[in-house]
Amino acid sequence: MEYFYTVVILMALYVILAASFNFVIGYGGLVSIAHPVFYAIGAYASALLARDMGVPVILAILAGGLIALLASVALALSSLRVSGDYLLIGSIGFQLGTLEVIKNLHWTGGAGGLSNIPSFLTQTLGPQAYVAFAVAVAMCTVLLLRWIAHGPYGRAMSAMRDDELAFAALGRNAMVMKITIFALGSGLAGLAGGIYAHYFRFIAPGQFDLLQSSALLTMVVVGGLRSTWGPIVGAIALEALPQAITFINLPPSVLGPLQGILFTSLVLIFMFVRPQGLIAASARWRGRQEEAR
Amino acid sequence: MDATTISLRRRSLLAGAGAVGIAALAPSAAKAQAATPLRFGLAMPLTGSQATYGQDQVRAAQWAVDEINKAGGINGKPLAAIVLDTQADAQTGIQAATRLASVEKVPAFVTAWSDVVKAVAPIANDSKVVELSVGANSAEIAKLGDYVYTTFPLADVDITAVARYAATTLQKKRAAVLYINNETGTVAAEIYRNVFTKAGGTVVAHESYDPKATDWTGTLLKVRIAQPDIIHIQGLVADTPQVIAQLRQLGMTQPVSSYSAAYNPKLIQQLGAAANGVIATSLAPGVNNSPAVAAYVERWKKEVGREPNGLPYTQYLYDAPYLVAAVFKSLDDKKIAITGENFRTEMLAIRTFELPLTGKLIFADDHTVSKPVYLMEVRNGAWVQAAVVG
Repeated sequence: MEYFYTVVILMALYVILAASFNFVIGYGGLVSIAHPVFYAIGAYASALLARDMGVPVILAILAGGLIALLASVALALSSLRVSGDYLLIGSIGFQLGTLEVIKNLHWTGGAGGLSNIPSFLTQTLGPQAYVAFAVAVAMCTVLLLRWIAHGPYGRAMSAMRDDELAFAALGRNAMVMKITIFALGSGLAGLAGGIYAHYFRFIAPGQFDLLQSSALLTMVVVGGLRSTWGPIVGAIALEALPQAITFINLPPSVLGPLQGILFTSLVLIFMFVRPQGLIAASARWRGRQEEAR
Repeated sequence: MDATTISLRRRSLLAGAGAVGIAALAPSAAKAQAATPLRFGLAMPLTGSQATYGQDQVRAAQWAVDEINKAGGINGKPLAAIVLDTQADAQTGIQAATRLASVEKVPAFVTAWSDVVKAVAPIANDSKVVELSVGANSAEIAKLGDYVYTTFPLADVDITAVARYAATTLQKKRAAVLYINNETGTVAAEIYRNVFTKAGGTVVAHESYDPKATDWTGTLLKVRIAQPDIIHIQGLVADTPQVIAQLRQLGMTQPVSSYSAAYNPKLIQQLGAAANGVIATSLAPGVNNSPAVAAYVERWKKEVGREPNGLPYTQYLYDAPYLVAAVFKSLDDKKIAITGENFRTEMLAIRTFELPLTGKLIFADDHTVSKPVYLMEVRNGAWVQAAVVG
């Protein structure tokens, strides 16, 4: 049963990550792939606050989210003035740099990772309680982001993403909006990091590298960019699929390449056959260029 | 003859036939009962960057399982290994260990690679399933909890031996330490520095490199400027030969020492003449120390066409099922249920195990094991035993 709980918790965490990542790159149009580093910042901050400073775990998780949010504002202030390719390069640099710092600090556990992280709920109420907690946070995240994206602020986001100049001409501040989107998305990723840290109780810098970025990007693209449910379907499918494959009991020499081929094929198939992803975005979010096609 | 009699006779006949059927089925049921395998987990990297080593280690463990079963199993019950892939990655390892503990319900599992061993420790402790670390050498492994044990000596054992050997036997005074910036490198590099300094030497360069690095020129030039008279490299199996090759290309002719990751036939193939003088450690007896090891290596050459990658590690993996089988047998003899808790209690009660390829293993109270360190040196294109410490 614990295996099932572990898979559900991971799915819930990937739903938070994919939904918040979709909020940043899809709805916000901010081309950044540093999302896993905010996940890492939340995980490390929460783990260290609870383990070394005795902060109650629930507050530590919230603080982890807040610290990730503040870190994202720091990155945003310096790099959101530029956009497109430059932001992408800036975000990669921030991700690699932060992970290098974590690897080289003694108090973060260095490259060997951080262990003995205090657990939360599982010892007192059982793992089911933690599953409920993670799923509840995932649902709240999705609903919150849906509410924002489909409300008046969402319409403003759409306008800003499609034509920043026209948006500014209307007297709106695009920079503030970009920072808000980036901070909210990253803060939610930080929250997911805290939830991860206190269930699995071990974190290492290698878990938050560029490979994680590409996994998240695949979830969002395969699921459907700029749709509420697309990234959720993508996250659940891409988390469940590798697990399901291992139960087929194929020889390891087949299993490893099969997983790689499956992921690559999925991305290629979606690029050619269904570029809008499993769940297509509604007309308003498809953007002008896509509408014109 | 009335209808009742016929009916009774039919019933008796059916009952008789049923009884014969059950009686006929009984031996096979008993046989099936007897053949229920005693299972343990094997969570190793079968894919990913470490697969070359993980697959050889799994092959070694599987050979041991087959040998045990050929010899009659455990009181007639076969031993079975449930093999899952960890990719030497913490997250994948967590999923594999969770599945072993909660779906496969094994009482013990074998795993390796420091990141994975540390990441899955909470699962072992919470599920009360014994985690046997076989090959990882992070010093932290001894402190991971009640259900985490190692059969492999941790970093302090061989690094201490090689540092002391450099300072005392080889009379080197100035050492440079070049290490990979991960758990394997940082902790061991620190141990080397402390031991070498205590033995009267000076560490003139202490330089790290990124695990993903493919060029080490900058770091090596820093080492060259420091003018050491020995260079210790604490890297991984994959990068150590490349670092040595580049070091020689830069004209550095000093002796090079490393640890068990460098003790690999591939190193000589990759480096050629540049491998001469490289000192490495082995924590298991070699072909010249044990006929069993010689036969084991011969089997590799015959069946696989080559020596195993990371020979000592595969020796430990070969021995792991023998350890598990010994605990299973003891529990079965005493008719004690095979659970993780009982496995741990019985393993500690037995405490000393005589294993075919790595010799005597004693579990210490502090979750460490001590073994002799074999210092190996490449001479004329072959690994030769230079000394045995401990």
